[in-house]
Amino acid sequence: MNTMFLSIDKLRKTYGAVVAVDNVSLEVPEGEFLTFLGPSGSGKSTTLYALAGFDEPSAGDIRLRGASILSTPSHKRNIGMVFQRYTLFPHLSVHENIAFPLRVRHQSASDIAARVKAMLTLVRLEGYGARMPAHLSGGQQQRVALARALAYDPPVLLMDEPLSALDKKLREEIQIEIRRIHQETGVTILYVTHDQEEALRLSDRIAVFNHGRIEQVGTGRELYHNPATRFVAGFVGDSNFLEVADAEVRGERARITFPDGTTLANVPVHGGASASGTGELMVRPQSLRLSTDGSGLPVRVRDVTFLGDTSTVLFETAWGQEIWLRAAASQINNATPGANCHLEWNATESHWFA
Amino acid sequence: MLLSYRKLGGLRIALWAITLAVCLFLLVPIIFIAALSFGSSQWLIFPPPSWTTKWYHELFADPRWLQAAMTSAKVGLLSAALSVFLGLLASFALVRGSFPGRGILRALFLTPMVLPVIVFAVAIYALFLRIGLNGTLVGFVIAHTVLGFPFAVIAIVNSLEGFDKSIEDAAVLCGASPLQAKLKVTLPAIKLGLFSAAIFSFLISWDEVVVAIFMASPTLQTLPVRIWGALRQDLSPVIAAASTILVAFTLVVMALAALIRSRMNK
Repeated sequence: MNTMFLSIDKLRKTYGAVVAVDNVSLEVPEGEFLTFLGPSGSGKSTTLYALAGFDEPSAGDIRLRGASILSTPSHKRNIGMVFQRYTLFPHLSVHENIAFPLRVRHQSASDIAARVKAMLTLVRLEGYGARMPAHLSGGQQQRVALARALAYDPPVLLMDEPLSALDKKLREEIQIEIRRIHQETGVTILYVTHDQEEALRLSDRIAVFNHGRIEQVGTGRELYHNPATRFVAGFVGDSNFLEVADAEVRGERARITFPDGTTLANVPVHGGASASGTGELMVRPQSLRLSTDGSGLPVRVRDVTFLGDTSTVLFETAWGQEIWLRAAASQINNATPGANCHLEWNATESHWFA
Repeated sequence: MLLSYRKLGGLRIALWAITLAVCLFLLVPIIFIAALSFGSSQWLIFPPPSWTTKWYHELFADPRWLQAAMTSAKVGLLSAALSVFLGLLASFALVRGSFPGRGILRALFLTPMVLPVIVFAVAIYALFLRIGLNGTLVGFVIAHTVLGFPFAVIAIVNSLEGFDKSIEDAAVLCGASPLQAKLKVTLPAIKLGLFSAAIFSFLISWDEVVVAIFMASPTLQTLPVRIWGALRQDLSPVIAAASTILVAFTLVVMALAALIRSRMNK
């Protein structure tokens, strides 16, 4: 069996009584774009900092091409990193910033000049070499930081929420750039973000972090369509959670009963729940439809919001829970506040969590 | 704003008057001394009956004055260098460290600023008496470093706190050793703070007289000590000339500092 390119093995980090990272294990093949997605304090950044060598793990191991890197100091790990904050060296020009890692590696002047030029082309900042960091926009600074981190051909590039300081439009622009640079260089990227849309846009695979643990690892599609836990279901994509009064589990499917007595069969079961009981049903707002034949879940319209391409409708169930739907405006013409109607959806697009 | 300058009316004139009075109070003695140093009267009569530069000739002809000035410069430069070096190490500990008693240590570092100088002078005199450092250049430099150090710490801590540690981390990940990263990235980034620290501690030493009187010997005196000594012997316009040069040099240092600072900021 060939060894995995990068493996994080039962990594654990505690600060006193606080467990920041709890038994995190991950296998990353070479060239993958893997994102750590999770809320702040979920352990995703701590895991990344352990890889960078700034945080010594309490237990566990990190191996690159089969060899542990934990005893190697940060500056000898040959890992690239782009930080959340702007970290260009303020007294050096763009050119000298990118040349810095090459100079400390004692490369020849001609090699450095050629490499810096290639890097500036890669991040599309040709002609910016003489500028000082203070005279660059936030987006340009992060692109130079990316060029600097890639200049020495690191096997792994770490990115710690590099776009969180930028506005939405610029962020999307640079996301496309990052995607392109990943494809052009083939470098393995570990990317930390709390923005699920960013994670879905960029990643080959996403590891969802919560309370120091990985809840699920998979492609964006897998996480969205087959969330393993209630947390993943709520964190990736929009979702409604409805109270379930009773669920009868048969194999991997369940027949569930809502508090108002409405039943729904053939609901996928997740998270290894086998026992019957109460719980919650997750259904995406865009899976919901207004029923035309009076079957389905009886609800009352509370509010309708027009959003251009789509509209959202907020309903209230018989037991007082809110549920919302998103659809093309034309499909929900007859929804007016106060009206009673029924909601239906494909049972296999909803998920029961005990 | 609660107190708007425009709405003060007649009070504005009062404010101007107070400001003017404060400025005069600070400046007139200096101008007065400078004028007297060019006056021809042996008895420092004001206004001077006529103008002369003979006191300056007398001053420069006396090697003891030149020697004192050289001693002042030497002590000032050495104690400034030492203050900046120690202040830099202390600042890293205060800003980056997370050890118990950090706040106490910070307060302790600043005590020479608030301690009455005469108390410190007597204390260090007593200490140096035991170890034989009174009247030596080393003793002078150590004593003045203690006085300049708090100012160096304040200046360097301020600039180090404004420097994002992530930038140094980035340098380390780029392959620079932690020491290399500090020398090549952090120090250049906080050079303004280091420069201010050097200027402050130099000027503190340059015009310090109380501790210097205790440290001085007949053969090793700084300029302020020499002025003080000469004053007690006889009141001569040469002293006014020496004082004027002392002030002029301070002004030149400050002007140079401001110039270099604005250059660095660009």
